[in-house]
Amino acid sequence: MIDLSFRLAQPPFSLEVELALAGRVTAVLGPSGSGKTTLLEVIAGLRRRAHGRVTLDGLVFLDSDRKTELAPERRHIGYVPQEPALFPHLDVAGNVRYGVRVPSEASNRRIAETLALLEIEKLAPRFPSTLSGGEAQRVALARALVTEPRLLLLDEPLAALDSELRHRILPYLIRVRDDAKVPMIYVTHHVGEALILADEAVVLRAGRVEATGPVQNVLTPKLVTSVRGDATFENIVRGVVIDDDRASGTARLAPLSGGAPDVATLLTVPAVDVLRSGAEATYRVASEDVLLLRALPGAISARNVFAARVIAVETLRTDVLVRLRAGTLEWRALVTPAAVRELEIAQGVELVIAIKTHSFARLG
Amino acid sequence: MDAAEEISILALSLQVAGVATIAILPIGVLLAWLLAGFRGRVRVVVESLLTLPLVLPPTAIGILLLTMLSKNTWLGRMIAALGVEILFTWRAAVLASAVMSLPLLVRSARTAFEEIDPRLLGVARTLGDGPLRVFLRVALPLAWRGILAGTLLSFCRALGEFGATILVAGNIPHRTQTLALAIFHRSQVGRDADALRLVAVVSLVAFVAVYATERFGKRRDDTRSAT
Repeated sequence: MIDLSFRLAQPPFSLEVELALAGRVTAVLGPSGSGKTTLLEVIAGLRRRAHGRVTLDGLVFLDSDRKTELAPERRHIGYVPQEPALFPHLDVAGNVRYGVRVPSEASNRRIAETLALLEIEKLAPRFPSTLSGGEAQRVALARALVTEPRLLLLDEPLAALDSELRHRILPYLIRVRDDAKVPMIYVTHHVGEALILADEAVVLRAGRVEATGPVQNVLTPKLVTSVRGDATFENIVRGVVIDDDRASGTARLAPLSGGAPDVATLLTVPAVDVLRSGAEATYRVASEDVLLLRALPGAISARNVFAARVIAVETLRTDVLVRLRAGTLEWRALVTPAAVRELEIAQGVELVIAIKTHSFARLG
Repeated sequence: MDAAEEISILALSLQVAGVATIAILPIGVLLAWLLAGFRGRVRVVVESLLTLPLVLPPTAIGILLLTMLSKNTWLGRMIAALGVEILFTWRAAVLASAVMSLPLLVRSARTAFEEIDPRLLGVARTLGDGPLRVFLRVALPLAWRGILAGTLLSFCRALGEFGATILVAGNIPHRTQTLALAIFHRSQVGRDADALRLVAVVSLVAFVAVYATERFGKRRDDTRSAT
């Protein structure tokens, strides 16, 4: 539980925050210059002159009234800045080991586990200048994790990476969340990332909290588009592989909703070697790839065809985002205003959704 | 004019410049580190004061030192009470050289510290290091080239120090006569050829030091921060 109630004046900018964060992962979104990085720096203790109170699970980091300020080195917080900020004079092993005070068997085991978790064991003797962006990010993440932080602060860890690399790193973050179980505050521009990783979201604008709450409630399309003009809306599906058919190159996924696999709405996804029946996997489907039809088609190459009911129609800048419910899942489809007219899409209308197998991109 | 005399002049000069450089190294690096971390008026005042030896006539600094160390001041009396003789000894030459070359070291080291990505220092703090450990484990290893360059430049400056030295140390053969003073002296008494030989010696020493500065002072690729 992180309690934040502080003010930081740096004319002409000021950041005023009143927040109580209880999520495992809190996504922080907002336009550039809204104070996202500053918020992390205040929590880490790297910004002086913040006035107010900052506590983590009852531990006081900052209490201006009592003139208490815990030094950054005594907060036990893992901080991964936007650019990985690896120590250039140390190799990867030296970087990862930096925060380990007294090397012990336990710390060596922890380092080995973290390197394995992030798949960077082979990088150990290399220097930061020889690493790719994605490798450097994982090393920075490992360096923060091996100190067993109370809280992990991630500042747009994927922002500097291209979209392919982004999709390769994201599974590692999911692993950190699920395996290392470190609470995270995750600054991002990317709604998809926030939806995948976070259970709670905060939207900052011009140094003020504009919205906060469970991620699904906060990240409404309207708010998101206002924060970021070119927002993408993705469908994130997490499920259990119930069988895989190597011959056809597909697998069937039972979506997880409320903890139990929903076998009534099976999805057909591309088969991946590493996946076996019973394994959990997360897939992403871009909202542009969700096709809407008026009625069931006769024959169609898409393997996922099912009925859905429109629950909301939201007009964005040039497109229309249609939210639909099918069984336990909610889907987002991005269509043109012309399509809305032709298909007479409105709240409550029954439609058919069609999604090609290969529109499902595996995230983790 | 014999070689032994020239060797003794060179040895004294190297001793004076060497001791002066070693003496200012910790002070200069510490000042540079503190200045690199500060913004605002205090920093401007301290930097301006530190730059004075670079811009004032060296003789002015010499007079100031001479006045400060004379028996008429509390400082001079305190030093006398300790039984240490400074004025007109090689120690005075060391002091003059140190004061004159400190600004070069501080400037060079400060620039090196300022070039360090501040996020590296912040991350090191979050990884459990207090300010002193961050200085030792991150700042020094990343700034050492700049510090080394500044140290060598300071050494060269100390080697060539003349104006302040002649006022506080005099020009006493075998005791305080460094290369710079000896060249002046020989030129004054018409021993131009002898003076030129010393010029050749000091040029060689200075060239080696400046060459080393250029050679080692440049950052290599692997010391740049990964971005």
